[in-house]
Amino acid sequence: MGLLGKIFYIKKQGNNFKRSKKWEGELNKCIRCGYCYELCPLFKSNNWESDTPRGKLLLIYGMITGEIQPTKEIVDKIFQCFYCKNCSDNCSAGVPVTDILTDARADLIEQGFEIEGTIVKINEDLCSVCGVCVPLCKYEALSIESDGKNKEKIVVDKVECRGCGLCVSACPSGAISQKEGCEVTLPELHQKVEEIIKQHGKKLVVFACNWSMFPGMQLSESPTLIKTSYGIIVSMCSGRVAPELILKAFDGGAWGVMVAGCPPEECDHDGNYKTRRRLVLLKNVLNELNINPKRIKLEWFSTGESAKLQNEINDFVKEIEKMGPINKMVVSKKVGG
Amino acid sequence: MKKIDVGQLKKISGADNVSDNIADLYVYGADASVHQALPNVIVRPKTISEVQKIMRYANKNKIPVIPRGAGSGTSGHTVPIDGGIILDMKRMNHILEIVPEDMLVRVEPGVVDDDLNRALKPFGLFYPPAPASSRIATIGGEIAANASGVRSVKYGATRDYVLGMKVVLANGKLVKLGSNTRVHSSGYQLERLIVGSEGTLGVVVEATMGIRPLPKFRCLGVANFNKLEDAGNAISEIISSGCELSMLELMDKIGIIAVNKAMDLKLPEVAAIIMFEADGNVKEAVDFEIEKMKKICEKHGGTDIKMSYDVAERTRLFSGRKKLFASLSKYKEGIICTDLADDMGVPNSKIAEAAAKIHEIAEKNNVIMAVYGHCGSGVIHTKIMLDPKKKSQWKDAEHVIDELYDYIHSVGGVTSAEHGIGLSKAPAWKKARGDIIPMMRSIKKALDPNNILNPHKIMDAPDDWIRATNLRYKVGK
Repeated sequence: MGLLGKIFYIKKQGNNFKRSKKWEGELNKCIRCGYCYELCPLFKSNNWESDTPRGKLLLIYGMITGEIQPTKEIVDKIFQCFYCKNCSDNCSAGVPVTDILTDARADLIEQGFEIEGTIVKINEDLCSVCGVCVPLCKYEALSIESDGKNKEKIVVDKVECRGCGLCVSACPSGAISQKEGCEVTLPELHQKVEEIIKQHGKKLVVFACNWSMFPGMQLSESPTLIKTSYGIIVSMCSGRVAPELILKAFDGGAWGVMVAGCPPEECDHDGNYKTRRRLVLLKNVLNELNINPKRIKLEWFSTGESAKLQNEINDFVKEIEKMGPINKMVVSKKVGG
Repeated sequence: MKKIDVGQLKKISGADNVSDNIADLYVYGADASVHQALPNVIVRPKTISEVQKIMRYANKNKIPVIPRGAGSGTSGHTVPIDGGIILDMKRMNHILEIVPEDMLVRVEPGVVDDDLNRALKPFGLFYPPAPASSRIATIGGEIAANASGVRSVKYGATRDYVLGMKVVLANGKLVKLGSNTRVHSSGYQLERLIVGSEGTLGVVVEATMGIRPLPKFRCLGVANFNKLEDAGNAISEIISSGCELSMLELMDKIGIIAVNKAMDLKLPEVAAIIMFEADGNVKEAVDFEIEKMKKICEKHGGTDIKMSYDVAERTRLFSGRKKLFASLSKYKEGIICTDLADDMGVPNSKIAEAAAKIHEIAEKNNVIMAVYGHCGSGVIHTKIMLDPKKKSQWKDAEHVIDELYDYIHSVGGVTSAEHGIGLSKAPAWKKARGDIIPMMRSIKKALDPNNILNPHKIMDAPDDWIRATNLRYKVGK
């Protein structure tokens, strides 16, 4: 490449990443210690280093310095993040990981890349444009827009979408979905419930929120040899725990289900309020099914309350052991009658 | 090197566990060091048999293989200088057996140190080496670097816990080294040879490690010093007076300012802070040791001494030290922390002198260096803090490294105490230990005649660390 070519190349790079470029100094501060691995739910689920915050920062650095060119694979990694901010909140070098990521996303969208990652997708054939999802999204990533032919549709702002998935669980038409592979879609959560009960023979299924329950995540991932009678599923937000998941757990043979969410006022997505309302309704349904509603427990945990989580789990295990298994015969009789 | 048959590797480990896309290659080409290079493919084996098949394939085709744990190495150990296959061992992460009656565990190499300790805690046991990176560091990586940590003054390093291991050699053959017993005198101690070999002699696929009972009491003391020299002298006396201590840490003013900025800890910005700890099952005995260390600190000008048995308080007091390394980039705007000259070892009597010398060399060469570390074991951690965009600063770093290691070796110290040699420390180490390089090369040749296992590291690394690979920073003119 000649001198003119080099100047053009550098200029082109600068223009392509005009938002991200300003973070070069912060990216230099990342000492790549990798301590963020421990905190990243995506890494816990996929185990590829390119899914970690350190990996994403490396890729962004490579793109803004022109060492690598964006490809579909790189773009996909950049758009895979749930913005739990465990990484940036705990980075001693103070690198604002998610702010950098947001700017990189905006730059890549501007370059016209096809985006998937953890961003939600709308199936327009199924969507009735009821608009339930729009006010639900705290990040204002969803809006109703007209296509100019008097037809309206739901549009996703791909920079603002945090992939929390609350809209996925709230959509009455099942028109909103997320890519599989990050252990957060409903089919994947169903599979995890089944694994915990059928394969591992657990009596208690605990749904722990990733945002507050980073310690819960640790408990769930510890390869301990001690047999426990509970299994922890880290969902992205307690608001994502759809009632059908809880019913599936009982149907599969669970003796109890615990939902661990952020305390009121601490949830970034207001998902905890939604869960509280849902669980009240679900408990009524359980009564109808002749299942003791006390088999569902909702508890609030702030970040770092791993000891409290462990104690609550232990206490609840004792409670459900007193209740014993659910008598399915009685359930079917009652429903059938 | 022959073109790598990615399809063949996918047949061995499954398509989901093999990647040659640039997103993965670029990320796996880096670690916590200043180096960066591109591998050709990443493979994530799950079983010993897969590792054997991959090694047989690589050996036949003379393809470099670089085993990798968490990639938290500081000297470029896992940076693929010749390309090749990165063998990501993190999927082999099962704790196979905990045997309290024999005080040992059998683990796969990808088990994370903290996970192992979480599993051991209900048994009242622990695995002591615990480097600061224990939250992500894998046992395999710790073996490769002979890692140690804050309690090495009492509990030693990884090498002191290795009883036996299974290793896949370069030709794919599986060998079982060592024993299940605390001691053995049955032939060469080959399991120890693998410790600190940085992936150049074989792939550790299983390790049998010793464990210890958790002490009932731990007490941490913190003392402030207005002179770094006084803190150094207190450290030397604590060690030489025969105190039974479990930790002795130092932080200098640069480190204190950095953690205050990063974590708002409001630590007093004195010349140095010493943290000392004793542990045991008899509280009076722990009290006795702590009091003894407290008195030595006071004798050397230590002030505002705080002590605590409480876990929460100990964690708070120690939090600054735990995250010091990562906090250093916050010390001064425009200056960042690079992993260079990061873990010298010096005799205890030289700690005060070495600390002063480090600051002197840094000042002379226009860089900033923090001094901290597990001084009870003679480990001095430093980092070179510089403006990475200025080419002249890298020249400064080269001068610092030359002068500093010449000094460290002149007082009987070692190039690396617990992080390993890799690429960036290789030139200084080779200069000091030319005497053992032929022997190391003979061993390497005997075990890996095709030179495929993590080639061109330690004794075979380039003589110019700065040009050994691309630097991870975009350096200007």
